[in-house]
Amino acid sequence: MKKKVWMLLSVLMITVLGVFVGCSSDVVTEEPETKEEVVVEEKTETTDQDTEKEEKEVEKQVVNLYTDRHYDTDEELYKLFTEETGIEVNVVKGKGDELIERLVREGEDTEADLLITADAGRLHRAKTSDLLQPVESEVLTTNIPENLVDQDHQWFGITMRARILAYAPDRVNVEELTTYADLADPKWNDKILVRSSTNIYNQSLVASLIAIQGEEATKEWAAGVVENMAREPEGNDRAQATAVVAGEGDIAIMNSYYIGKMINSSEPEEVKVAESVKIFFPDQDTNGTHINVSGVGLTKHAKNQENAIKLMEFLSSETAQEQYAQANYEYPVNPNVEPSELLQSWGEFKTQDINLSLLGEYNAKAVEIMNEVGWK
Amino acid sequence: MGMGLGRSKRHINIWSILSLIIILLILVPNLNIFVNIFNEPNDTWDHIKTYLLKDYTINSLTLVIFTGLFATIIGTSLAWLVSVYDFPLRNFFKWTLILPLAIPPYIAAYTYNGLLSYTGAIQSFLRNNFDIYVNQKYFDIMSMQGTIFIFTMFLFPYVYTITRGFMSKQSADLIENARLLGKSPTSIFFRIVLPLSRVAIIGGVSLVVLEVLNDYGVVNYYGIQTFSTAIFTSWFGMGDIDSAIRLAAILMIIVFIILFSEKMLRGRKKYNYTTTKVRPIRPYELKGMKAWLAFLYAGLILMISFIIPVIQLMDWALLSYRKVLDSEFFSLALNSVLVALIASFIMVVIALIVANNNRLSHNLLSKIYGRITTLGYSIPGAVIAIGVMVFFINIDHRLYWLYQLVDSNSGKLVLSTSVVMLIFAYVVRFLGIGYNAVDSGFEKIGITFHEAARTLGKNSIETFFKVDLKMISPAVLGGFLLVFIETLKELPLTLLLRPFNFNTLATKSYEYANDEMIHEAAVPSLLIVLISFIAIYMYNKISQRKGA
Repeated sequence: MKKKVWMLLSVLMITVLGVFVGCSSDVVTEEPETKEEVVVEEKTETTDQDTEKEEKEVEKQVVNLYTDRHYDTDEELYKLFTEETGIEVNVVKGKGDELIERLVREGEDTEADLLITADAGRLHRAKTSDLLQPVESEVLTTNIPENLVDQDHQWFGITMRARILAYAPDRVNVEELTTYADLADPKWNDKILVRSSTNIYNQSLVASLIAIQGEEATKEWAAGVVENMAREPEGNDRAQATAVVAGEGDIAIMNSYYIGKMINSSEPEEVKVAESVKIFFPDQDTNGTHINVSGVGLTKHAKNQENAIKLMEFLSSETAQEQYAQANYEYPVNPNVEPSELLQSWGEFKTQDINLSLLGEYNAKAVEIMNEVGWK
Repeated sequence: MGMGLGRSKRHINIWSILSLIIILLILVPNLNIFVNIFNEPNDTWDHIKTYLLKDYTINSLTLVIFTGLFATIIGTSLAWLVSVYDFPLRNFFKWTLILPLAIPPYIAAYTYNGLLSYTGAIQSFLRNNFDIYVNQKYFDIMSMQGTIFIFTMFLFPYVYTITRGFMSKQSADLIENARLLGKSPTSIFFRIVLPLSRVAIIGGVSLVVLEVLNDYGVVNYYGIQTFSTAIFTSWFGMGDIDSAIRLAAILMIIVFIILFSEKMLRGRKKYNYTTTKVRPIRPYELKGMKAWLAFLYAGLILMISFIIPVIQLMDWALLSYRKVLDSEFFSLALNSVLVALIASFIMVVIALIVANNNRLSHNLLSKIYGRITTLGYSIPGAVIAIGVMVFFINIDHRLYWLYQLVDSNSGKLVLSTSVVMLIFAYVVRFLGIGYNAVDSGFEKIGITFHEAARTLGKNSIETFFKVDLKMISPAVLGGFLLVFIETLKELPLTLLLRPFNFNTLATKSYEYANDEMIHEAAVPSLLIVLISFIAIYMYNKISQRKGA
């Protein structure tokens, strides 16, 4: 009995080991594009076989990307980039913070060259976690305005959105709409619609207010907004606009591009909703409307640096910027590119004049304040 | 069963050794994360304690208690109905009532909200045809009640499947004897069936409870703050992974107390067959009014938990399929199925080993093993993901020499950038589901047959393959099915641990839903439902042939 047990065990061990080795060698051959590329530059001694292999690999340039943007528009852009340069783009999509955590854990061995996230606060977190490195590129600095770029050039904004107010024109006198600060005024009691405090867009809005007016004032403001909420926060940005039209509240705080998407929705009812609300850019006479960016940064241990910078530059180019603006209703960061017609119809607006790194610096404080005042 | 020496000998055998290895593999990545608990609490922790913990705990408990209760009532009553009675379409309901499991709860949450919202089909219809404007508060599903509704309707099949599997194999003699003795159906149900099925019911409910505690998608969308939102807020909102893990640990301890106290309360009581005759119950035909009531009840539940959401998803898919369907979509579907099949197979094999060990050696250690298999199910997916990642990066560093032997150009991160890591994480996460199914299968057949075979001179391995495995094959299949569907739907692990350019149906539907593109999300969601549907249908065919 005992003998049999041991025999079975050793057979099992051998099988496991076999599978293990099998898997790992599989993986190696499966992903030549991520590994061999580096070698092309570094390796000096090669056998004939290797040279042959190398020749093949030279054609297969890659750049590896972690991103929390999932839009099909982005995929199209990567394809376009590959067509233009021959550099393949490999993508891992996930949630921003989790991708950052993954980068932390992978350390210097990471395969990722670029990190793209849809929030400046997160880019800042990546920077402070020592995951990014500065990039000096004339193309990038010409294409992207300074306030949308990290002070140390560790990340660059590639698209922009505004956190606007969508209101019911029949119930709200537009003359009365002024600033974000005003939303805490008792006159809006039971009228404000906004999603929960776990949402990064709201966190960044609050962080921007901390940057502008300080903690105390912001806390008072947040408490006032909570007081004025038409209902407990629920649903996403689209749901807020819908609630305005349904009469649950009068003013929704939401991102600009969702209105664009709703107007172009395949669902007729949603189009109706988007067409019945009006858009207001707060703080035009004061600090400007809160904006946020999606941005890109080169990872500290990027192994395909040149390709990565090429992709960064491409994303800031007019071609790419037009694509973002047309297909996703985001504002281009490149001043040479016009926003889409729809966005233009909303008019130009003054943007909050703060460096977006501050959104990251004050993020934790913003979350704390929201918890304290009971912003669900 | 010997004493003294004989007993200690029993503890060390192939099953216990394999179980130990497996349990260690599951524990190590989790321990990696849990060492953080011993770090000094920081300021964030104080903040969490003051502002988040109380409300979040109350919300979580409310969700768990009500969902658990309703899922038990619906699941058990339906299981009893289709096992013991005959009524119109009974055979159809028997297997279709598992189908709600094919719809991920967060997709269900989006679907029901879409259906009921101002722009949804119901309200648009009223508005556009009759000019009726309703008060939104009657249509607002984004509330505590709504969340309980979603969880109940899309998780009750856990209770239903496991309990039905048990009841359909229930020794018919007991029930028929009781009938002969003039007991009413109600009294048979409460006095005989319920106590006998307790293990199965509790197995099912504990899955429901864990699923609820772990959910982030539904509660986040509906704006209900729970323990899992607290974990995410502290981790991602405040960038404090230590506090997040502390929260996860507290959650896990609560879960463990619940699971363990159940096992302890049950103690040595064992319910299983005492005769060799295992035959299914002869269904008792319901007539007239009663038959229709049974039909209506089962029909209504199926309607709400499967048919309505699927119709809504189809409606949306029609609006968006042109944008979504392409050649990549096909490979994505194939990916999903393949990975889920591999992971499910591994899990069932492991579950069999650990459950068999638990059965053969009645000591505390083997019981603990059993509980550890459900460990992964009680920790938030994102936390497991980090644990597994750290574990694999560690392995990669240790095996670097081997990689270089195979391929001198190899990078350092091989396993941790491959699908192997993902599959391993699936196993850690869902093993408990497979284990519960297999374990309740073993509970049912008991140890008598096994001991008989052993007395006849077969060793435990032969007995396992020739006797045990055959007897519990329906339970094994059931476990495989549940695990397969779960893996197909899985989200947080896949998002975080996937290799480059690796998509599954679940990640695709999540990406769309998360970007507020619910119409586009409908197509991959429907495909998840369809594949799960096929799996359930096949399972049904197989188990019918076996006469289950």
